[in-house]
Amino acid sequence: MLEVVGITKVYGGRRAVDDLTFSVARGEILGFLGPNGAGKTTTMRILTGFVPPTSGTATIDGFDVQDQPLEVKRRIGYLPEHPPLYNEMLVRSYLNFVATIRGVPRRQITRRVDGAIERCGLNEVAGRLIGNLSKGFQQRVGLAQAILHDPDLLILDEPTVGLDPSQIRDIRQLIKSFAGEHTVILSTHILAEVTMTCNRVLIINEGRKAATDTLERLAARGVRRPRVALHLGRSADVAARTIGAISGVVGVERDDGQEGRFVIEMAEGQDAREEIAALAVREGWGLLEMRPLARSLEDIFIEIIGGRAS
Amino acid sequence: MRNTLAIAWREIQAYFTSPLAYVVIGVFLALSGYFFWAGLLRFSELCLRYGNNPYISQQLNVNDMVIRPHFGTMGIIFLLMIPVITMRLLAEERRTGTAELLFTCPVTSGQVVLGKYLGASVLLLVMIAVTLTYPLLVAGGGTAPDMGPTLIGYLGILLMGLSFLGIGLLISSLTENQVVAAVGAFGVLLILWVINWVASSATATLASIINNFTNGLWDTLGLPLGGPTLGDLINQLSITWHSQDFQKGLLDTQHIVFYASVVFLSLFVTQRVIESRRWR
Repeated sequence: MLEVVGITKVYGGRRAVDDLTFSVARGEILGFLGPNGAGKTTTMRILTGFVPPTSGTATIDGFDVQDQPLEVKRRIGYLPEHPPLYNEMLVRSYLNFVATIRGVPRRQITRRVDGAIERCGLNEVAGRLIGNLSKGFQQRVGLAQAILHDPDLLILDEPTVGLDPSQIRDIRQLIKSFAGEHTVILSTHILAEVTMTCNRVLIINEGRKAATDTLERLAARGVRRPRVALHLGRSADVAARTIGAISGVVGVERDDGQEGRFVIEMAEGQDAREEIAALAVREGWGLLEMRPLARSLEDIFIEIIGGRAS
Repeated sequence: MRNTLAIAWREIQAYFTSPLAYVVIGVFLALSGYFFWAGLLRFSELCLRYGNNPYISQQLNVNDMVIRPHFGTMGIIFLLMIPVITMRLLAEERRTGTAELLFTCPVTSGQVVLGKYLGASVLLLVMIAVTLTYPLLVAGGGTAPDMGPTLIGYLGILLMGLSFLGIGLLISSLTENQVVAAVGAFGVLLILWVINWVASSATATLASIINNFTNGLWDTLGLPLGGPTLGDLINQLSITWHSQDFQKGLLDTQHIVFYASVVFLSLFVTQRVIESRRWR
């Protein structure tokens, strides 16, 4: 479906995208993850043919973005970071305009526009000026604009940025509903978004690919060394030492220096929770809380990014 | 073609759903109407005063005294207002990010430029078409203007307006800031408007500059100071100079070719500018 081979983009001596190679299969939802300024937007602009790469190629359905831009553009739907809306237009006439220049056959325009309005929940605002709509509705108009012509590949640049939580949920559900029929590339710096919508993640940092994997495999990277957070009511300095002596415990740290709170790290494949609990009860430390610390995707993300940077 | 028309149509919608088109057309009609009316008043006063003087009344001609100045004032109003019409065309597109929509759609940059230009031309056509009523109103009142030269004058002012639009569009493609686009377009148009003021002395000035810097190279080479030289070239660049024959009611293809070339060249350069901006 989409093949990207070694694309590089140099802006005034700075490498915004550096030798990026990846591919996306039909029907997949790829999460494009990275900190701000990692090159997500630039990559998307290259894929859509808005910006030419300094070197490297991108092909969509076998059409090269540089050599056959019109063929490529016919097959993609694109929602840039700032939805490209004409504030002085009505929602419906804007969508009609986009349908026309996206090459939707004249007879199908009304049907397609109606379909997109329906799908993005724009019925109540179809006759209003875009400039008067709330940010959430504007984002949906942007999304409707991108799916009008039923594109093979949908490219969404931070589709949920600036929305309130319920709008974010709506947009995510909408994106999920495209899976299967459309291939979707979604950029974001919010990890939860990836967890909720994507099958596969591509993490980039400073223009380079830092990791690409399915979510499960990425998450699995984190559980090698189980960790436990412990909260004791009557803490004693001996507690840390005594717990550290239990077999299987690799390290005991005070959690941010808070009184009675510890983080305990155990060796790979070991679980010393039972012993710790028994010990705490026996010694009368006043066990208040003990919970396993699963490493979140956030931690993994930061580790991947940080590992690359150092 | 379909894309070009769609973009042009959107542009027209944008003009007429914002106050811009109404303000521009309204102010243009008020000003041009006032000048036309003032010219007509002066003409009728002269007719009254010299009506029984056969020698002078022979010289009184509504075409020369009312219609011709009418084109002159329309030109000046265009000079001030066309930058306002063209400033938003590409600059706004770039600033609001809608350029990203246009250039990721299966549309070529040439179609975008042409569509934008056509859209603005329609606004210009509306403006000019309404002023056609001025000479028609006078035609009912006894001193009917000769319609042939009048229509040629209209052709001239239309071509002039179209070339202004081209230059304005070009300037608009160079910046994201609408004010910069308007001021820039106004500056360029004004220069082209008055460039022939220096035409008569241009050769002598150039000669003396070159002589100063190169120890009399101009004189050594024996280059002439008169004759068809720099002055004529500068005259040829003048937007007003080319409009004069039209205003007299003369149809000369060289002027049509001039305006057509200005339009073509500015649209072509605009398209190149857009393409080159992608690479930055």
